Amino acid sequence: MLGRGVKRKWSCLADLEAEALPAEKQKNGEEGPGDEGGFHVAPSESDMSHLQQRQLVLGLCLEKLQHYQAGVELSLRRSVLLINTLRQIQEDMQSDGVETCTSETLLNDVNADSCLLRDDVREDMPVTCPGCSEGDGDDLPLSPPLSPEFPSQEANSSADQPRSLPPATISSFSDAVNAMGYLSDLALDDIFEDIDTSMYETSDLPSAWAAGSLWPISVSLWADEDVKMRPSSHASAGSLQSCLMDLNELDHIMEILVKS
Amino acid sequence: MGEDAESSKINHTFLRDYVTEADVISTVEFNQTGDLLATGDKGGRVVIFQRETESKGEAEEAGETGDSGEYNVYSTFQSHEPDFDYLKSLEIEEKINKIRWLPQQNAAHFLLSTNDKTIKLWKVSERDKRPEGYNLKDEEGRLKDISTITSLQVPVLKPTDLMVEVRPRRVFSNGHTYHVNSISVNSDGETYLSADDLRINMWHLGITDRSFNIVDIKPANMEDLTEVITAAEFHPHHCHLFVYSSSKGTLRLCDMRASALCDKHTKLFEEPEDPGNRSFFSEIISSVSDVKFSHSGRYLLTRDYLTAKVWDLNMDKGPVETYQVHEYLRSKLCSLYENDCIFDKFECVWNSSDSVIMTGAYNSFFRMFDRETGRGVTLEAWRESSKPRAVLRTRRVYTGGKRRRGDVGVDSLDFTKKILHMAWHPSENIIAIAATNNLYIFQDRVNPDTQTQ
Repeated sequence: MLGRGVKRKWSCLADLEAEALPAEKQKNGEEGPGDEGGFHVAPSESDMSHLQQRQLVLGLCLEKLQHYQAGVELSLRRSVLLINTLRQIQEDMQSDGVETCTSETLLNDVNADSCLLRDDVREDMPVTCPGCSEGDGDDLPLSPPLSPEFPSQEANSSADQPRSLPPATISSFSDAVNAMGYLSDLALDDIFEDIDTSMYETSDLPSAWAAGSLWPISVSLWADEDVKMRPSSHASAGSLQSCLMDLNELDHIMEILVKS
Repeated sequence: MGEDAESSKINHTFLRDYVTEADVISTVEFNQTGDLLATGDKGGRVVIFQRETESKGEAEEAGETGDSGEYNVYSTFQSHEPDFDYLKSLEIEEKINKIRWLPQQNAAHFLLSTNDKTIKLWKVSERDKRPEGYNLKDEEGRLKDISTITSLQVPVLKPTDLMVEVRPRRVFSNGHTYHVNSISVNSDGETYLSADDLRINMWHLGITDRSFNIVDIKPANMEDLTEVITAAEFHPHHCHLFVYSSSKGTLRLCDMRASALCDKHTKLFEEPEDPGNRSFFSEIISSVSDVKFSHSGRYLLTRDYLTAKVWDLNMDKGPVETYQVHEYLRSKLCSLYENDCIFDKFECVWNSSDSVIMTGAYNSFFRMFDRETGRGVTLEAWRESSKPRAVLRTRRVYTGGKRRRGDVGVDSLDFTKKILHMAWHPSENIIAIAATNNLYIFQDRVNPDTQTQ
């Protein structure tokens, strides 16, 4: 129970709305069984506009899709529900008349955006999804590798071609790619349009990437163990690596966006 | 009886709010007679409670049945251990997702317990006698020197202290690629089903190296995946019928006589969406978290995030009854989405006569709905507010109008205190509620036996 005049800022919802939580809680007066450890909901969401809520939900969706616990399998139900929500938001955005560039995979979008953050690749890349200009999903730079399992990738940060990986890995990678691939029309550009790239052109980032090899080999939104190997994937496993890492960086962005 | 109801709660906390993650109860289930109650926890342990019969010395009121005793710990065993999937480099949790008892056929009891991947059949048997008077072995089991044996004796069985032995009898492994969410024993007594996110398998209780796949909703292209299986159950009387629920809020009744692979449902139960309530969270809150046949086999009870619904098997257009569990949360869905509570999976149960349904909520609250009157009541499973043997007082969440003393405001609800798992005694008004790491057993002393309709 919060009612001691301390505003609990666990929710970005509370940030968006100016309402004072403590006042509301003290009015209630009831000593519920909640203690300091429990969390509570913000007083009212109806004040938030549709657009605001959509933006918030979109951010949360991406955040949740990226977040995972090392070594523990993601819940398929949760992932499916999140992605369906993402799709719904995309449709909502489209119906609003938001211009979307069609790109082949989510990877493209993500990579395009994260390109803004990197200091080791072409910084003159335009802030549009590369699908529009290039039209080729495989033509993507590899970012520094994540997992110690692929030391051979380390030197080749700008290679475009897929590398050979263990079959089981390829299949689970490609399935994750496929899984995320169907979000092809998602317009992430809109969120990242106003990012000030100067903030991110530091040398700190690469070391953060090197230190944060969080993604295990076979992380996937939904692994497809039944199929031994899919010889042709939509995108290279390598670009998935970069995508996964870029999503990690998206996490940073989202935090910053949300807190600002 | 000197014991109070406190003894029926397993309490692993030493400090008031200290909770060990491994002790969180993840499933609760009575056996068919109600004499045994099994709980599974996140640490892979199973604890079985047995109902004590009233001691014969106490005077019984006329008409009162003998079995109004407390539940005490009968046996504890480690059912599943943490495992590792080397192919995917991922841990397999030892958390017990479901326990189901088999109908009793002899002196021993059998139960099925499952984690995400492996189902195990356990035999629970009592031993209260041991043979004594062996010719070749002495009392400690050491071989005797043959030259010292001068006469033959017949070993006899002597009573000893009761010992409960639990042994794994079958291990049903490698049947599931995805996470097992349900198991259900068939009324034929020989088979059972296990369901994961995309497939349902049927097993024979005696055969562990083979299972039949009876439902497979995995799309050829995983990109096209939009729906997963959330729960499944066999019909209580018809061994060819089973139902499964989905994350999109649909129920599918399948008849195994129709085809070997029941991808095509016999009946699809779906409620048309209310356009007025549409939001970004509509699909998530429509996801069915639990489905249970009524004891009669005529109705289905489902639970989604905000409601509990009763469906008539004969009518697939929509539920016949809808109960609002915590409608006041509808305006809070965004926050609940953020803190992940919107993904919580609540179970639901019928009472023995199918006249009352029960399900859990937040803040240690759980709800009971009387189907005849349509009225619901909110109760609390929290040791601070309930003394042993005291009458449970009803609670109320304040949502407007006249505020009564004891009402709890929506903003004061504690969302970490979730009542997800529960069970109702098969024939009496006794309920078992799991509240994080505590187990609460409530008995209706006024109406111990359910009135049959």
